[in-house]
Amino acid sequence: MSAAKKYKPVDTTELHENSENIAACLKKAENENVSTATSPLSLGRSAFAAQNMNSSASTNGERLPNFSKLHGNEIRSSSTTSNLLNRMGAIHNSKPGDVKKIVIKNFKAKPILPDNYSEETYVKLEEAVIAIQLSKPIKYSLEELYQAVVNMCSHKMDAQLYAKLKELTEQHVKRNIKLKELTGGSMDKLVLLEKINNWWLSFCQQMIMIRSIFLYMDRTYVLQNSAIHSIWDMGLDLFRIHFAQNSVVQKRTVDGLLALIEKERQGSTVDRGLLKSLVRMLCDLQIYTLSFEEKFLDATNQLYKAESQRKMQELEVPEYLQHVNKRLSEENERLLHYLDSSTKHPLIYNVEKELLAEHLTTILQKGLDSLLEDNRLNDLTLLYGLLSRVKNGTSELCGNFNGYIKKKGRTIVIDPEKDKSMVQDLLDFKDKMDIIVRNCFDHNEKFTNSLREAFEFFINQRANKPAELIAKYVDMKLRSGNKGTTDEELEKTLDKIMVLFRFIHGKDVFEAFYKKDLAKRLLVGKSASVDSEKSMLSKLKQECGGGFTSKLEGMFKDMELSRDINTAFRGHALSNNRDVHNLDLCVSILTMGNWPTYPPTEVTMPPQFINPQQIFNKFYLEKHSGRKLQWQPTLGNCMLRAQFDAGPKELMVSLFQALVLLLFNDKPTLGYEEILAATSIEDGELRRTLQSLACGRARVITKTPKGRDIEDGDQFDFNNEFTNKLFRIKINQIQMKETNEEQKATEERVFQDRQYQIDAAIVRIMKMRKTLSHNLLITELFNQLTFPVKPADLKKRIESLIDRDYMERDKDNQNQYNYVA
Amino acid sequence: MADDGENSVDRPTDADGSKPEKMFTLKKWNAVAMWSWDVECDICAICRVQVMDSCLRCQADNKRDVLSRMDCVVVWGECNHSFHQCCMSLWVKQNNRCPLCQQEWSVQRMGK
Repeated sequence: MSAAKKYKPVDTTELHENSENIAACLKKAENENVSTATSPLSLGRSAFAAQNMNSSASTNGERLPNFSKLHGNEIRSSSTTSNLLNRMGAIHNSKPGDVKKIVIKNFKAKPILPDNYSEETYVKLEEAVIAIQLSKPIKYSLEELYQAVVNMCSHKMDAQLYAKLKELTEQHVKRNIKLKELTGGSMDKLVLLEKINNWWLSFCQQMIMIRSIFLYMDRTYVLQNSAIHSIWDMGLDLFRIHFAQNSVVQKRTVDGLLALIEKERQGSTVDRGLLKSLVRMLCDLQIYTLSFEEKFLDATNQLYKAESQRKMQELEVPEYLQHVNKRLSEENERLLHYLDSSTKHPLIYNVEKELLAEHLTTILQKGLDSLLEDNRLNDLTLLYGLLSRVKNGTSELCGNFNGYIKKKGRTIVIDPEKDKSMVQDLLDFKDKMDIIVRNCFDHNEKFTNSLREAFEFFINQRANKPAELIAKYVDMKLRSGNKGTTDEELEKTLDKIMVLFRFIHGKDVFEAFYKKDLAKRLLVGKSASVDSEKSMLSKLKQECGGGFTSKLEGMFKDMELSRDINTAFRGHALSNNRDVHNLDLCVSILTMGNWPTYPPTEVTMPPQFINPQQIFNKFYLEKHSGRKLQWQPTLGNCMLRAQFDAGPKELMVSLFQALVLLLFNDKPTLGYEEILAATSIEDGELRRTLQSLACGRARVITKTPKGRDIEDGDQFDFNNEFTNKLFRIKINQIQMKETNEEQKATEERVFQDRQYQIDAAIVRIMKMRKTLSHNLLITELFNQLTFPVKPADLKKRIESLIDRDYMERDKDNQNQYNYVA
Repeated sequence: MADDGENSVDRPTDADGSKPEKMFTLKKWNAVAMWSWDVECDICAICRVQVMDSCLRCQADNKRDVLSRMDCVVVWGECNHSFHQCCMSLWVKQNNRCPLCQQEWSVQRMGK
């Protein structure tokens, strides 16, 4: 196109030069097109070729013969250009406007080479190649040589030329390798390596040069014959053959490389460029895997095997891990800098295997527990990171982690001495482990599950106690006077508690104790916050279902209903009965069954109690027919107005304390027996009551003789000199220490309840199914029951129900039960 | 006792002015009482659940609802036998006799 545009009268010589430039450009373009696909060195090569031609086109004063004419048929583009030139003269001569078409015709005669051209050219090329190989200057210009090759190829002498070139290269390689073999034996390894490297590098350069000269052959002859290697490959092939054949040189090279790498691993600095270049050589020769990689990996294994054994002895686990980490990053760097990337997998695998996998058990047994114990998060993160690289690494770690939790957890739970701090310890422990799983173990689900499983396991190692203590802990948190915690903090604590609660198998034990404490909170009005109570309740409900909490909810409901009843009663009392209006009576009506059972106690109460009580009874039972009320003297409390010398006081006392104090209205001095007879409060209870009044902080009565314990025959007097800076004084009851017996009683009650529940479940199931085999019944029971139970216990309950005629064994099939309506 | 004498003399009179104040006066009583159905047998013979709990059917239907427990009341027959009202109302559709004593069933009273 550019030629057509220049269509105007021009000097022919100028045109001639122009055409040559065009040919060069076309060739260059072609060259680039092909070269992209050939070899990694092609970029350099094509650049070289282009430069070669540019220089020849512009700087050579003497115009070289235009060989494009000779192969006009083969390269169409250049032939058309030259034909065009021929025609242009004609166009110039004829009149413009006459000619509309340009007819292009081929040369008739074929150009002929001079006779001795091939021999001369052979010699010329041979000289040039040898000169290149010996790194001597070439007599001929490169352009000339290139054209020679093109001519030879065009005249079907390409096969011979290729053979000749191959021979020359082979000779050169042979010569060189002999040289290396002869001198190699005595040479220092490093020197040898450098020699080999230099030789290899210059060989490559030479081959590039040669290839550039023979480029045309590479493009035509070689491409047309698929069996023949390109010049570059041929060179490599010959190099490989002779290098591989000569085991001495090859072995010494590889050994030298390994020695160098080992030296680097020992911590010395080595010439990485040399290593890289030689490794590249091995790769290019395609003997990397065969002759180098295997040996390299072997050497690696041996080194690290020995090292790991030594270091495991010498170092603590965290330091060892640091060391392994360092080693791995070093090896990775090695890969990056000079090893072939194909080695990455086997190398890293081997290093990991020798340094980690082989010592997995030892590392975990020796180090994990102390890392966890000391909360060394960074080391744990590293440990996880390293172990997740090796097979079974994480599962082993997980297993050991699990083992640690179980072991450690057991020590928290099992020791009765530590009961006081058990729940707090558990919470702290759980927090700590959670953080470790989240931060160090990548939030791995396997670990989360394992953590859960381990907690569930150890917390149930000790039956009932953890459940009881968790319930008590919640009570402590929900009771008022627990200052310093905000609602949000409390909420968070409750959430954490729920996590522990989830692990507990005997949830009914928790419920029993929780209920007892909740009752206390509600009746004494000691609950810190209704919202928190409700929140806890909804958590429990979410966790265990409405069946679990329905009674607890019932307790709250009872408190609400009681409030309404009291309002109604006050209205009723005001309108009907004047006897009660100076006594503020407030009754909490509890639904039996919702609340814990309290031992029934009978006490003798004076009319000022009995009267209002009866009025209330009447009022209530009128409203709710079919019910009966059972008063609980142990639970009530009273407010007394007391008149001392120092002035009036208000005393907040229990019902029992009130009963005792009111006796002093009639007689200021009372003996123990008198009080006992008048109140008929249970002996132990009365002694505690008197102790609280006469020996506590607020002594509203005095005891003779003095002493801490109440004995038979003690005398009590009203203490008129009582002073206190407060107007309203609460006289604490002396709590009977929750003895083992009492706890046993609660537990006993839980077990009793379980029996009922089992009975009820069996009957429910049998009633629905009518007939059921033993195994199916047991399976269903396990599904329905929310507490741990042994099959043997179930069997006992079934037997008992059969005895009580709720069900019977099938007459034909002993394993089958029938429901008895 | 001397103390006593002094006290009774010195003690100021009550605000009402009617009688001398005692050493202790009961002002407020927070009492606690438990209610239960006034029944002879605390287990419903039909569903075999304690009458204080709601009947089996109600438990199954409205496990979540606390209020439903309040609705599952007790019924007494003339024979003085008592059952869950829910249980009995189903029972009489089959057989209008008391399940325990086979007397003709007629409601004496209902719990509320």
